[in-house]
Amino acid sequence: MNKPADHPKRRTDVNVRMIDGEVVVLDRQAGLIHQLNQTASYIWDRCDGQSTVAELADQLAVAFDVDANTAVHDVATIIVQLHRLGLIESPNNMPGSP
Amino acid sequence: MLDALSLVIFGRHVRVQCQDAATRALFVAKYGHMQGRQGPIALQYSVGRQGETGGFFVGRAGQAPSPASNPGELLFLFEKDMTVELEKLRPDLYFIHAAVLAFGHEAVMLVGESGSGKSTTTWALLHHGCRYFSDELGPVDLQTGEVYPYPHALCLKDVPPGPYPLPTNTLYTAHALHIPTAALPSEVGEGPALLSAIFFVQYRPGAAAPAVQGLSKAEAAARLFANALNPLAHVGDGLDGAIEVSTRVASLRLFSGDLTATCALVKATLKSLLSNEEARRCLEGPCSHP
Repeated sequence: MNKPADHPKRRTDVNVRMIDGEVVVLDRQAGLIHQLNQTASYIWDRCDGQSTVAELADQLAVAFDVDANTAVHDVATIIVQLHRLGLIESPNNMPGSP
Repeated sequence: MLDALSLVIFGRHVRVQCQDAATRALFVAKYGHMQGRQGPIALQYSVGRQGETGGFFVGRAGQAPSPASNPGELLFLFEKDMTVELEKLRPDLYFIHAAVLAFGHEAVMLVGESGSGKSTTTWALLHHGCRYFSDELGPVDLQTGEVYPYPHALCLKDVPPGPYPLPTNTLYTAHALHIPTAALPSEVGEGPALLSAIFFVQYRPGAAAPAVQGLSKAEAAARLFANALNPLAHVGDGLDGAIEVSTRVASLRLFSGDLTATCALVKATLKSLLSNEEARRCLEGPCSHP
């Protein structure tokens, strides 16, 4: 079974809008609004619960024309930040969890 | 019984029955510019002294009156209740906590946290050819992109630094200074104006010079949403309204500092942003700088 950390999945119970390549996320549950830069927006958009972190890094490397190490580092950093902000589902905040 | 004070705010008739002459004078100083009569009474208040206690009260028709210990608290409680009720009466408007100025027919908004210096910056900018709309409330019509004036007396927390001294008829209350619109060095907005630019103000005490930076539309939308007062009255929990506004206007971050330098920077920035000929004339006109 896939672990959420390996296959990050963006939350679907938030309001999301894309403006000029940047995502704005309204999390009414937490009473917070977030604005993601273009790199974070690209990653967020692909956190579908199917793609692995490695696959996200591969896609980022191609889309932003950066080397593989930079892409892996950037994706890892952004996924951690999205987790901290509560924008990625985790075992503790997945729908149906206590 | 004194004559009631009739105000017209965002096209709604607000009637304030003042119980004594001193309280009426206080309200005329604060809201006098919005006096008028239009349509049926939408909101009705009673304000005044509370018996022998030395305190005050403010009550909206149908509600229990609230006590206030001093004139400043009385104005605060009245304004807080009235603006919430006006937001309910005009759910079509997107209310933003902001100061608003107009150059010609183009309006400029200053958005910032309490204490960011937006009222002080507004007071200074009023010496530089613009019209006063508000230091507190920027209601935007999302259909037209226009912002409505809310010209109550400009409220400052502290005496501003030179060279923008306070007029002699400034009203002093416990926690604030109120400059009646009649004492402003500028004209006062009478009707809506097209919102053209937003400055998100951040005060940097001790900074060598003020600075301006461009903001992405996404960041501007997020910051606007954070300062929206009635977002839930709008579709998408108000997020779409913030995006609508941010995509129509130029958005900048203003790191304010020395007031004179900040005003010069704002004017220079607006000269490159505002397209309307009248707005440009206002920006190039003489200052009423003391």
